[in-house]
Parts: sequence; structure tokens; C-alpha cells
Amino acid sequence: MEELKFNYKYKDPEHGHYKELFYSYDKDGNYDKRVRFHDDSDRVFIEQFWDVQNNRIEEARQNVLSGKKSPVYYFMEKNLLDPMSLGLQAKIALWRVKLHFKPRVFRRLNEKTLEKYAEAFNITVEQLKNIE
Amino acid sequence: MEQTKIMIDYTHRQAGHCESGTTSNLFQYYGMDISEPMAFGIGNGLYFSYIPFLKIQYAPMISFRNIPNTIFRRGTKRLGVDAIVIKKFKTPKESMNALDRNLEKGIPTGMQVGVFHLTFFPPEYRMQYNMHNMVVYGREGDIYHVSDTVLEKPQTISYYDLQRVRWAKGAFAPNGKMYWINHVDKNVDLRKAVTDGIAKTVYEMIKIPFPLIGTKGMRFMAKDLRKWPKKHGKEKASFYLGQILRMSEEVGSGGAGFRFIYGAFLKEAGEKFDNPDLLEASELMGIAANKWREFSYIGARNCKSRSEPTEDYGMLGDMLKEISYMEEDVYKKLDKIKI
Repeated sequence: MEELKFNYKYKDPEHGHYKELFYSYDKDGNYDKRVRFHDDSDRVFIEQFWDVQNNRIEEARQNVLSGKKSPVYYFMEKNLLDPMSLGLQAKIALWRVKLHFKPRVFRRLNEKTLEKYAEAFNITVEQLKNIE
Repeated sequence: MEQTKIMIDYTHRQAGHCESGTTSNLFQYYGMDISEPMAFGIGNGLYFSYIPFLKIQYAPMISFRNIPNTIFRRGTKRLGVDAIVIKKFKTPKESMNALDRNLEKGIPTGMQVGVFHLTFFPPEYRMQYNMHNMVVYGREGDIYHVSDTVLEKPQTISYYDLQRVRWAKGAFAPNGKMYWINHVDKNVDLRKAVTDGIAKTVYEMIKIPFPLIGTKGMRFMAKDLRKWPKKHGKEKASFYLGQILRMSEEVGSGGAGFRFIYGAFLKEAGEKFDNPDLLEASELMGIAANKWREFSYIGARNCKSRSEPTEDYGMLGDMLKEISYMEEDVYKKLDKIKI
């Protein structure tokens, strides 16, 4: 699977300016459709989203390295999930997912549960256990 | 391994919205001249719902569109098209075999997929979103040819990846859902289809007695919007606002949360049936849509300077309220129109 590195890509001005089809309405009462780039004002929303998300990912990584959270938490943030949707994807109840954020609980997890998480994150169990 | 090669002569046209574009492209492949706005209007694409207690990606859930597959299902039904929708397969293997059989018969097949693992999708638009639609129209060995109406050109995807996105998990999981058209009846009563489509949209936007849906939902959101900076802090308020506007302006909405597409539909219908009332409604819809654009311009300024909002959230709330009344006027007008 290709590595998802969002951090720098959207800031590159050339990258990510995908042309889309937009409709518009002018003063004369005509609807017009045109294939064009996004307005700069629209790009603000994407940038804001990735800024916030990258902060979250970095914060989660630090938390895992310092032993406050388990790797499940980090990979959840990295896959743009929240606890509820992670529960839906891995088919694990929400309260258990939240419990597994604790490193103490994570260490005792059996192979089957780990595999469920690994499949949801599209990685191997080994990768899940050791984060960079 | 034997190399299969099937290519259906399918024309890829870029469209504003994934599902209405897919539907319209499929119609046009079978020689039925239905444009994208027309498909969107007849199939009830327009919607609004705001669900503050359900958080998606740590922001309140908001939707400008109907639930997936509505446009295709209702559109084909109203236009008297013989179409098949398979909602659910038991296993991934089975769903892929069904797709291969369809391709061998020469049927371009639409399907619902999840966006996050879609390999050709721009990385910055990735999100956990399972309501995307695209059409598969060819296969060469392990590679499938895909027409994704959001992107400019047709794309390719491998067997493994296609299976993965078709079986994306989470909310609104596609479960391999696919749909196609069997037969098209060209002498269809478009007038009836348009009337039904408009009536249903009017019902969904102003008549559902629930405060979170339709124009009522917009007013509810306007009320909530004012409280955000106090309730959640400025940083979070701007994040919420950004997320909502991202939903309305970003990938596959055609601008202003589908309002432009709907206005274009009203105009096209008005011209077709020579109905001045519809044209007037389309004009009002266009003005409301431009107001949405203005709303997002102003919202963008707040999102840019996150911790110190340049605009007052009360003002944004008033603006949203105004938009909701403008839209309500349109639907009330549409409710009385005889086509």
C-alpha cells in the first residue's frame, strides 16, 4: 500500500489543484458550467483540515512514543478515523476500542483482535506493534 | 493466466456531482438525452440535514445531498428505465465475478465505493467517505478502466484495489453495491418525471416535520453557529465552520452545496416546457446559491485566521438564516407550480 503522506503535498502549489466542474450563476440569469480550479477561498478549508489533522497525527505519535497511548490511537488518527468509525471498520465495540487506547490493555491483546485492527488499517500486525 | 480484454465504448464526461454525473452518463450511453442537472433534479439529489450530535471526523455531521443511490434509483423509476440495483453481495469474490459477467455482456456498470483507499483519487481529498460513485467500463487482465466523473480523465485501478474500495467498511458501507441499466424507453413522459421530482424535493426540504432536515435544519444550524465560539472556543468553532463549508464547496458538489446544479435543472425544465414560473424559481435559486457562495467566502476568512475570527459568528448565523428563508421561498413557489 502506498504511504499516505499528506503533510507536505497540499502545500505544494502545483499539487492538488485538480480541475473540477463547477456551475455558476451570473447576473443575467444564466447558469454556466466550467471546468476550472478551485477558488483560493475554497482551498482554505482543505488547508485547515490538513493542518488540524497533521497536528493530531503528530500529537498522537508523541503520545505513543512517551507511552501515554497505544499504537491503535496513532493509526486511527493516521487513517482519518474517529473511535466510532474505527469500531465500525474493525467490527469492535466502541467501549473496547476506547479501552485499547491504553498501552497497558493493548499489550495484553490477543492475536485475533490485533489482526482485526491491522486489517482495518491495511497494515501487518508487526507494523501495528512497532511504530516509527 | 489468460488475458481478458474488454473495452466498452463509453464516453467519460466530467460532472459536478459523482452520482448525478454517473446516472446521466449511463443514460446518455443508452441514447437517452438526460443532462446532469436533469438527472439530479428528477432523482431528488437536493437535501439538507444537520446532525450536531453525530460527529464525523470530530466535526458535526452535515449533508447537502441525499443518501447514496437515491438519484439513480428514483431517476430510473421516474423515467421508466429498466434498471437493476444489487444492494449487497455476500462475498467480495462474488461481487467481482458479477462485475466481470456484466463487462462480458458489454454493460457499463456503476458502483458505490469508499474514497479513502481509491488509488487514483487526489491524496488531499482523501477521507473516510463511502458514498462515492463511479462506472467501470473495461478490463484488461488485472486492470479495470474506471470513469470517475469528479476527475477530468478516465482512470485505471487494479483488481485488488477495486475489491477493497467496493468493500470499504464503516458508515454507509457499500457492500459491493452495483447498478446498471438494462433497457431504455425513449418515449418517456418527461413532464411527469419532472413534476414528481420537484414535488418530492419540496417535500423533503420544507415539509418533513423534523427540525434538523431541510430549511428548518438550516435555521437550526444558524442558531447553533452563534453559540460555537462560546461553547467550544474559537479554534474549534473555526474548524467546525471549515468542515461544513468543505462539505458544501469541495469535491463533487458543483459549488454552493448542489444549489447551482438544482437551479440549472429548474432552468432547463422551464425552457423545455416553456414555463415562466419555473424560470422565475430558477432565478431565485441562483440568487440563493450565490448567497451561499458569499457565505463561504466570508467563512473562509474566519478559517484563515483561526484563533482570532475576523467576522462575527452572529453575523454568519444571520446570513445563514436569510439564505434559509430565500430557499424556502423557492420551494413554496415550486409547490404551487403546475407544469
